[in-house]
Amino acid sequence: MKLLNKITLWFIGIVFLITPVTMVISRNNIKKHLDEAEVARMTAVNDRVAQQMMAGEKPDRYTHGRPIAITTVAGPLPEKKVLVTKDNFIAEDLGKKECRITVDSWYKIGDQQYKISSYNYVIKSEEIFRGMLSTVVWKMLLMIFAVSVTARLLSGKIFSPLRRTMKAIHSFDLKQKNKLQLPETSTTEFKELNVFLGKMTDKAMEDYAAVKEFSENASHELQTPLAVIRSKIELLSETNIDGVQAALIGDMQNAIEKLSHINRSLILLTKLENQEFKVTESLKFCRVVKDVIATYDDWISMREIALTTNLDKNIPLNIHPALAEMLISNLLSNAIRHNRDGGQIKMLLTHRELSISNTGIPPQIPTCELFQRFKKSNQSNDSIGLGLAIVKQICEVNGYDVDYNYADGWHKIQVCFYKKQTVNSDALPAAAAVAV
Amino acid sequence: MKVLIVEDNKELASGISDYLNGEKYISELAYDVETAREKLSLFTYDCILLDIMLPDGNGMELLNFIRQENISSGVLIISAKDALDDKVNGLERGADDYVTKPFHLPELHARLRAIYRRKKLDGNNLVVFNEIELNTDTMEALINNSLLDVTRKEFDLLLYFVVNKNRVLSRQAIAAHLWGDYTDNLANFDFVYQHVKNLRKKISAAEGVDYIETVYGLGYKFNTSKT
Repeated sequence: MKLLNKITLWFIGIVFLITPVTMVISRNNIKKHLDEAEVARMTAVNDRVAQQMMAGEKPDRYTHGRPIAITTVAGPLPEKKVLVTKDNFIAEDLGKKECRITVDSWYKIGDQQYKISSYNYVIKSEEIFRGMLSTVVWKMLLMIFAVSVTARLLSGKIFSPLRRTMKAIHSFDLKQKNKLQLPETSTTEFKELNVFLGKMTDKAMEDYAAVKEFSENASHELQTPLAVIRSKIELLSETNIDGVQAALIGDMQNAIEKLSHINRSLILLTKLENQEFKVTESLKFCRVVKDVIATYDDWISMREIALTTNLDKNIPLNIHPALAEMLISNLLSNAIRHNRDGGQIKMLLTHRELSISNTGIPPQIPTCELFQRFKKSNQSNDSIGLGLAIVKQICEVNGYDVDYNYADGWHKIQVCFYKKQTVNSDALPAAAAVAV
Repeated sequence: MKVLIVEDNKELASGISDYLNGEKYISELAYDVETAREKLSLFTYDCILLDIMLPDGNGMELLNFIRQENISSGVLIISAKDALDDKVNGLERGADDYVTKPFHLPELHARLRAIYRRKKLDGNNLVVFNEIELNTDTMEALINNSLLDVTRKEFDLLLYFVVNKNRVLSRQAIAAHLWGDYTDNLANFDFVYQHVKNLRKKISAAEGVDYIETVYGLGYKFNTSKT
């Protein structure tokens, strides 16, 4: 549920709870004030009647048509000169509830003592309540409407920093060296959030850089000792050695070859991650494909593999020439290595995609896992298991999609030069981010 | 040939020096920029092997120095960083070639030799050994003055053998020389075998001496003592 709807619902809920309470309070207040006003008026009328009587006039002017009763009283006057009584009763003739206020005042006029009583019927609290109820219903409806509408209108403005922050986070990539750029805001909470996010991403970037730097340095530092070992073994093989020693040296050379290859591949992967391959101009991809095929020609014929190609001409792509070559040569050499003798390879190159299919034994692990570093379908295989990881990384750097499928005895690797779902996959989370 | 080896790793420097001494070259060692500068000021060398990362500075500085002083030695850069920038920078500043660690000694030697041919032998593009004559410009191989029909790879292979004669060349070194470092051909040293076999067949067919022999467990050797 949207934050805004939640807040609106809570707000309306609280208004619903508070409204009855305020209704009771205001009803009591209104009733009290009305009664007081009535009592004050009737007291004043009583006083006025008494004054007229004192002046010796007939109190007709006030008593006429008014519910005033003047009676003489004997005995001592009560201490309080004014007595107010409220009666709630059900009028018998009408069968309705009535509310009556009676004000009794005592006066001493001459030798005679008088009691003057006025009474009046006032509005009952139920009547006030009824009047208020319709008001409140209207008030509530108006409020819900106003809150919903203004919240929607205002939220666009109030939440815009949050929305922009979320957009920024969404497009943030640890591997890119750009710092997270967060929008300015005057809202305290968003300010805090931005400061926190800024700190967190900076720290993550630092850590990432440190880890990367370490692996980079480690790989570079390994190159010199490797060079020492390799050169010493080469010198050793020049000396007077027998067959057994030669075999041992041969094994060592194989191991060093593998080691140095792993190291080089790791350095290459790091460089790819670092985006060190700047593309300056587009190159003719078809030509690179042909060149690579030419270099593997002898290997293909040695293994008696039938290669069928269907290459479109004139395909310009923005990719670093070294990477283009590496991409194709990794794919092709894989297709040859994991093929069977006398197998087949099909290569297809169009403006949209490059696909290489080859025959071979079914993969032992899910094909998507083969893109991970050091994952091999056949662990005893002599390859080091970085070829496809490099392919994947090259594709990522250049914004290509790469897929590996196995069906009916054919391994098929497809490189799409234009991401098919770019629009959809990017737009969906962005839309989700915007819908605050 | 007189060579100055500028490399801070003593074992590696001595390894290179041992190999080059085997070729009857005179090699001198410098472990840092300062020594290298001193030696360059005092003596002349045909070729300089230059490491980029040195304890007291960068090999690039030395390249600048070499250019300023108009030293005509050929320069081969050895670097642990096989960054393209280093390569481009180095070559722009007057280096002649570039190898990355870990290299094969025969590879280093072949490149050194190529620089030497270009720079010191006034672009002499002929490599001659007995009845074998290789033209590095036209990629033509002659045996007893008749043209040998070889592929580009076979020519490279023969040149590699002739330059590194009487040396054991491992299959790895040959593979790296012919296909570069990035070709992940570890399992396919049969491939090297195939090429060597073809080359030997062609030389024999042209009535050349079959100098190339198999060294059991290791690789091959161009044995000049064969007749």
